[in-house]
Amino acid sequence: MIKVRIPTPLRPMTGGKSEVEIAGNTVSEIIDNLGSAHPGIKERVYDEQGEIRRFINIYVNEEDIRFLTGKDTPLKDGDEVSIIPAIAGGS
Amino acid sequence: MLAIPSSIVKNMVAHSRELAPHECCGILSGTESTITECYRITNILAELSEQELTRFDGAKLSDLQRLSPEERADIAFQMDAREMAMAQRDIRSKSLDLLGFYHSHTFSPARPSQTDITIAMEFESYRAKLNFPEPFHLIISLEQMEQPVVRAYRIQESKATEVPIHTLP
Repeated sequence: MIKVRIPTPLRPMTGGKSEVEIAGNTVSEIIDNLGSAHPGIKERVYDEQGEIRRFINIYVNEEDIRFLTGKDTPLKDGDEVSIIPAIAGGS
Repeated sequence: MLAIPSSIVKNMVAHSRELAPHECCGILSGTESTITECYRITNILAELSEQELTRFDGAKLSDLQRLSPEERADIAFQMDAREMAMAQRDIRSKSLDLLGFYHSHTFSPARPSQTDITIAMEFESYRAKLNFPEPFHLIISLEQMEQPVVRAYRIQESKATEVPIHTLP
């Protein structure tokens, strides 16, 4: 199982949990399985073309998956996946 | 105290003016409490669909929903995550640290809004796990267009504390 960190804006879909355990061998499988367990999340992470949305970074441990092998990045037991929205703010 | 070269202060002010009335945003890197580099990051808020605004809190969300997508960027920003990741990678390759974030307030003073504080605390909740140092938050106010004001803050426990800026030649 892989520990997945859920950002504040997506926690309403995980019953408020900031971390969930999800099975999967790649980041793509994790997002698919996360979407099955917590409906609505997958659509918030991917755009209509199935690409990661422009305001979301996904990290495996401390590395952005864009610099690994993207959604195909392989995972092993003990890895941690973090879904992190980019910095925002407003006046 | 936060030390910033005058060239970077000028760059942030120029960025703010170029994008006005939209808010601009960017990343600052350096070592300890001295900024040495500045990365302009795209404010993608103008391109976001309404659904994607849900990361903003209640009052801010209501304000944003009343505005057209073009107008939303006048009162808020959302960094492009890909550009942010690229900047972080460049920072790491130079053995520097991500020291801070900057954004402009086109029509209001150079102090963090409630939205800024809420999202800074959200960042704070995962920052250590991703091995990011505690950031400075810089705001450029264009409230008086001819006299821009730049201020720096630390945001901890939902409270913003101003950090004096020392401008380097």
